[in-house]
Amino acid sequence: MNPANAHHAGHAPLSPLIHLIDDDAAVRDSLALLIGTVGLRVQAWPDPQAFIERFDRQGIGAIVLDVRMPGISGLTVLETLVAQGVDQPVIMLTGHGTVEMCRRAFKAGAAEFLEKPVNDEQLLEALQNAVRLHVRSRERHQADRDARERYAQLSEREREVLGLIVAGLTNKEIGRALGLSPRTVETHRANLFGKLEVDSLARLIRHYAALTDGG
Amino acid sequence: MVRQWTLVRWWIAAWAVLALGGGAVLARIELAQMREAFETNARIMHRLLSQRVVQHDAILATLALLQPGAEGPAEAAPEQRLPALYPQILAVQRRDRDTEWADPALAAAERESRQLRRATLAGVDFAAGRYRLVLAAQPASFALTIDVRAMVPWAEWPLDPATSPVRATLEQSGQAFVLQPGQVAPGNWTFEFRKHLAADSQPFDVVASRTVGWDELPWGRLLLGATALAAALAWLRHGLRQRAAHARAEELLRLGQVARLNTLGELAAGMAHELNQPLTAVMASTQAARRLLADDPPELDTARGAIDQAVEQARRAADVVGRLRRAVERPDLSGQTQVVDLADAVRRALYLLEPECQRRGVTPVVEAATPVTVMAEPVALDQIIHNLLMNALQALEQSPAQRALTVRVDRQAPWGRIQVIDSGPGIAPDALPRIFEPFFSTRAGGLGLGLSLCETLALHMGGALAAGANEPRGAVFTLTLPLSPDAP
Repeated sequence: MNPANAHHAGHAPLSPLIHLIDDDAAVRDSLALLIGTVGLRVQAWPDPQAFIERFDRQGIGAIVLDVRMPGISGLTVLETLVAQGVDQPVIMLTGHGTVEMCRRAFKAGAAEFLEKPVNDEQLLEALQNAVRLHVRSRERHQADRDARERYAQLSEREREVLGLIVAGLTNKEIGRALGLSPRTVETHRANLFGKLEVDSLARLIRHYAALTDGG
Repeated sequence: MVRQWTLVRWWIAAWAVLALGGGAVLARIELAQMREAFETNARIMHRLLSQRVVQHDAILATLALLQPGAEGPAEAAPEQRLPALYPQILAVQRRDRDTEWADPALAAAERESRQLRRATLAGVDFAAGRYRLVLAAQPASFALTIDVRAMVPWAEWPLDPATSPVRATLEQSGQAFVLQPGQVAPGNWTFEFRKHLAADSQPFDVVASRTVGWDELPWGRLLLGATALAAALAWLRHGLRQRAAHARAEELLRLGQVARLNTLGELAAGMAHELNQPLTAVMASTQAARRLLADDPPELDTARGAIDQAVEQARRAADVVGRLRRAVERPDLSGQTQVVDLADAVRRALYLLEPECQRRGVTPVVEAATPVTVMAEPVALDQIIHNLLMNALQALEQSPAQRALTVRVDRQAPWGRIQVIDSGPGIAPDALPRIFEPFFSTRAGGLGLGLSLCETLALHMGGALAAGANEPRGAVFTLTLPLSPDAP
């Protein structure tokens, strides 16, 4: 059924997964084989609707989508994915690309728009770029989420102190502003550095300045 | 057909309305002219009669003034010579002083005359055609007996009383003297004229009347007008139909071209997709195979499978092309040929291209000495000629002046021949061998299918199409087709 999947079944389960959607079996198989040669896992889908319903949204990877398919246009699939908040980059393939189609695809959020028959280097490079981008974007999101969780552990007083530190005030000034002794401020400061898992003022500002803005 | 008849009915209705309206106007003009003539004649009659009655007054006045022969015997009286001078005066009577009129009517009239100081009537008898006029004077008074018919100056009378349709009478207090009877025809229009004579002493009315009968209307002219109108409408209708037909033909032509382009576009898009899928598979498979072979160690089995798949997909692409060829293959035209006159076909095509020619300031010349009939499929022939003419016109666009386009029809047994000759830039020598190849075009935006199609059509009809250079400049396209068997 899917020689590419079978052949590269030995890869680690967490390696990126490429979803390939094309109604033509020959195109699906050959592209899957080609993509497999650079060590990317491929899951091929003949039916766009089944793909939308069942594919793994949490995984790292990218989507290769044919524009011209019976029943549903690739552009519609793309728009549906974007509307559902899918963050995997989408590479569109088309046999007969018009400027208008290209414009619409990019406007809808396509990462790349390639013409069939597709050059292997172009496709593989586009896929690798897409995967890299996706990994980075996922990491950034994870970092944001972690920061938010740690910030949530701070006490009310610690958040006030943090806000003033980020605003550039010294311990003495913070103590005056909050009616605390500089020693108490120093204690809060040490505590919040510990809770937020940072070891320098620079790191603190880089990761948490955005959170203090919102209060 | 029903629609056609409805249209014709509208035209006939329009003709009827216009003919009736025009006829009414014509009849009114005619009637107005008749009325004017009638009134002029009636006025002439009135004037002539007035002159006469005034004359009677004058005669009486003269008699009264001169009192001729007052002393002599009645027989010798000079006034008795008047009837000889004036035919209308039948008798002159005289009442001398101290005598009485024999007729009391004359006596009464004399009394009235004396009172009014002018002549007065003493008995009008229009039935007998006469009346008497009395003038009181001193010492003698006179009376004239006047014959009405003789009073009329027939020599100067404007109408022939025997044949004129106008009835004319002299009327006085209920009596009427018929001057001319006229002809009373049944009709719709009656003219009337009534006027007092210009003499107080003889207060007669000149009454004229005329009835215009239906038969007096200018039927000949009305018929002529209606016929002319029908002819004009028929001509107009013909012109309009011709224009509509022309417009329709042009529209069809344009639609045909658009439809052809649309079909071609669809075909190209479909073909692109059908071919792209296997080509994509072939390319991806071979590229995958190349990468697999470059691995260390090479993954031979997988690479072999990829190559097999590439071969299979290449075959699929070939099948697509074969299917396409079969789909667009034209049916054999050789069985559908019929006898066609070449000059007719050329004229048909030129008629359709008339606007294109005018737009480019080209006046095509057709040289067709004798009728040439060939075996051809008419639609295919029209298409070839149309394409050749369009090509020539497009070539002529590139030459600023002396845009000459000649179409020559002749025979070179067993072939009938059409040559389309233009004075455009001609065909470059290196392009000449390729000019009938599909997708070869020297024109920017040209599909390069027109001449290729023409050649194929010509071949299918058992003919040929050739291109060459024209001297001193331009191109010649020669279409040859087999002469029809009955051609002389």
